[in-house]
Amino acid sequence: MPNPIKPEKSVVTTCAYCGVGCGFKAETRGEKIVRMIPWKEGKANHGHSCIKGRFAYDYYNAPDRVLTPLIRASIDDPWKSVSWEEAFAYAAGEFKRIQAKFGVKSIGAVSSSRCTNEEIFLTQKLARAVLGNNNIDNCARICHSPTQFGLTQTIGAGAASQHFDSILQADVIMIVGANPTEGHPVFGSLMKRRIREGARLIVIDPRKTETVESAHCKADVHLAIRPGTNVAILDSIAHVIVREKLYNEAFVHARCEVAEFENWKALVGDDKYAPEVIGPIANVDPADIRRAARLYAGGPNSTIYYGLGVTEHSQGSTGVMCLGNLGLSCGMLGREGVGVNPLRGQGNVQGGSCLGSWPHVFSGYRFVTDHATRSSFEAEWGVTLDAEPGLRLPNMLDAAVAGSFKGMYIMGEDPVQSDPNQHHVIAAMKNMECVVLHDLFLNETSKYAHVFFPGSSSLEKDGTFTNAERRVSRVRKVIEPLAGLQDWEITVKFMNALGYELSYDNPGEVLDEIARLSPNYSGMSFALIDQIGSAQWPCNKDAPQGTEVLHREKFPRANGLGTFMLTDYVPTAERTSDRFPLLLTTGRILTQYNVGTQTRRTPNSVWHPEDVLEINEQDAIARGLQDGDWVQMSSRFGQIQLRARISERVNPGVVYTTFHHAKSKANAVTSDLSDWATNCPEYKVTAVDVVRIRVPTGTASLEAARLEAAE
Amino acid sequence: MAQTNSPTQGAEMPVMALDRILSMANQIGDFFAPYPPERRAEGIRNHLRTYWDPRMRDQLLQHIAAGGAGLAAPVIAGAKLLQDEAHAKPGYYGPPKA
Ligand code: SF4
Repeated sequence: MPNPIKPEKSVVTTCAYCGVGCGFKAETRGEKIVRMIPWKEGKANHGHSCIKGRFAYDYYNAPDRVLTPLIRASIDDPWKSVSWEEAFAYAAGEFKRIQAKFGVKSIGAVSSSRCTNEEIFLTQKLARAVLGNNNIDNCARICHSPTQFGLTQTIGAGAASQHFDSILQADVIMIVGANPTEGHPVFGSLMKRRIREGARLIVIDPRKTETVESAHCKADVHLAIRPGTNVAILDSIAHVIVREKLYNEAFVHARCEVAEFENWKALVGDDKYAPEVIGPIANVDPADIRRAARLYAGGPNSTIYYGLGVTEHSQGSTGVMCLGNLGLSCGMLGREGVGVNPLRGQGNVQGGSCLGSWPHVFSGYRFVTDHATRSSFEAEWGVTLDAEPGLRLPNMLDAAVAGSFKGMYIMGEDPVQSDPNQHHVIAAMKNMECVVLHDLFLNETSKYAHVFFPGSSSLEKDGTFTNAERRVSRVRKVIEPLAGLQDWEITVKFMNALGYELSYDNPGEVLDEIARLSPNYSGMSFALIDQIGSAQWPCNKDAPQGTEVLHREKFPRANGLGTFMLTDYVPTAERTSDRFPLLLTTGRILTQYNVGTQTRRTPNSVWHPEDVLEINEQDAIARGLQDGDWVQMSSRFGQIQLRARISERVNPGVVYTTFHHAKSKANAVTSDLSDWATNCPEYKVTAVDVVRIRVPTGTASLEAARLEAAE
Repeated sequence: MAQTNSPTQGAEMPVMALDRILSMANQIGDFFAPYPPERRAEGIRNHLRTYWDPRMRDQLLQHIAAGGAGLAAPVIAGAKLLQDEAHAKPGYYGPPKA
């Protein structure tokens, strides 16, 4: 008898679970995947991987995977299975009806970091060329939009300055609001390796994460700040650098706008940012702020890696600018071992940013308001394009609540679960006349959808992903799409149904179009990637095989110089009070993938069966709580019930939870405050209180209460 | 493609709740606070011009025309520059110029 798990075929592809983008060999037998082997040649992972990539692939054939298109006229009706043709025709008819009645701008589209570059690019093309407006956004809005904004302002490129391997040249590693050991495991092990070799580690995070202390990892300085004080602490570090003249004057004079440097020195050098002033505000020892500043400035090679703990704040963009300012002031940019690097959450957040799924920029971060850029797209696409920025996702939802926005095409996203202030999102969803959801499963948002396009998993399609180090790798079809169409084909056919003629033989042709229209991708093609494995953008005629380290000679700004932004600390409006005395901050853990749409459907759930609330012993005692008790956590926005875990990882006054499981609905309590520049939600700070309850109320009644509140 | 020019019914309807518009505008004003007045106004103007849907800008300007209650003075000064084309710098992106 033949061995039933002996593979017959193997295909090299890229893991979609996190921004590391590990290369894998997917081995199949018949139409079944039998195992995933980390790919030795993969330049992001060099043969390593984590348990998510290796074992959490089974979601693709989970029993609740939807395999036929669905439609319904009202969200109170049951779903009806239809053919693809009928689903496209129905959705297109509805979108046209709505636009005729409520105007061209009453519809928008949202793409996801789970999509390939080609799908993200096609979704923005659908919005701009076919729907005729710029209401296009992507889920990076709720995680890394401040990265693009803040880094572009200071150093000119909203992307990691380094390749992952660069960390092996670093002497000082500063991690801000990220937990790479858990969130980006393969990169985390690279970091640990460098720490074992003697690199010093600074961690800025309210929580004592695994990165702060675990096997092979111990921070030299941990600034366990009060949630919401990032900008204060980073300005205070800058203060020490300025007052003690630890900055790199030669670098600043050669590479930066010197007048702006002087303005910045005047701001952060002010007494109000002295460690002795900021220490008590941020709840850290002023001496530790000084140590962190001296370590970072001392290098010789210091590098910054940061995550959502920086971006998901009302001053998220300002926090990112602080990091850009720090890198410039100390000359920690433009060579190996240094840099400022966002650690991206989902697989293709960088691609989501690069490929124009934003209401104000086309692919390559070029403005829709810019005539020359717009003309190049108009020439390629054969239509006149809207010259004004469109609505961002949170604004689309605001507009839906107000009644001016009526329909949405959502590709691979679950805004009801993942977006903040769930009541508001549900109210927005209910106010729309046609929500087209394109996903693998009937997620939370599907409750408010009218059309469902059954998508393909990353194992069932071709395309490319761009990882957190700007590396573009191939996603290759391992098995046939279970619902019959690859995601890019679904979007193209939907565009056809809306009356726009176009066709591609394969997504390689979409990448060619991206290359024609986006300077940083101009050298990219399936052929190149097939030949050299992967390439980091910019990839163009000056760098035909891509670029590992950015900013070596100049910064990609008009005058080639880096600049300093004035980053005053503005405390968030979300404050603790007698009623809500604790600060909730949120995060993620290793075995699960963000809102868990995929990992929850795999045996990886065994490792993380539910979201729990971490609470310090002191706060627990004050509330009569014991480890494992059920608690009700409430904020100004709502309540949720979950189990408490007494933990030394959080300071008194701070509680922490993850948001992987729909049933705990962490976003029912998060606030509606957002970043001043990008509307990235402030997930990382919500004032809450926690009380012990005997047994959880049934989920059903909770749900009913929530729906009522949303109406 | 002619779609972009077709009439927009319901244009009189506010695009979103006014208090959202005002709080977002004031947040932008807070960021630019450390800049000297002229650069501050320009920074606010550029941000609104580059990132806000024109209907959101209109809603803000209408509110300013009606007195601008609830808006910080520098935000009003910055937003008003939107009405003066002399401040248009196509594709301009970056810190407010000196
Ligand atoms: S989840 Fe991230 S680290 Fe783990 S295998 Fe996938 S890409 Fe690699």
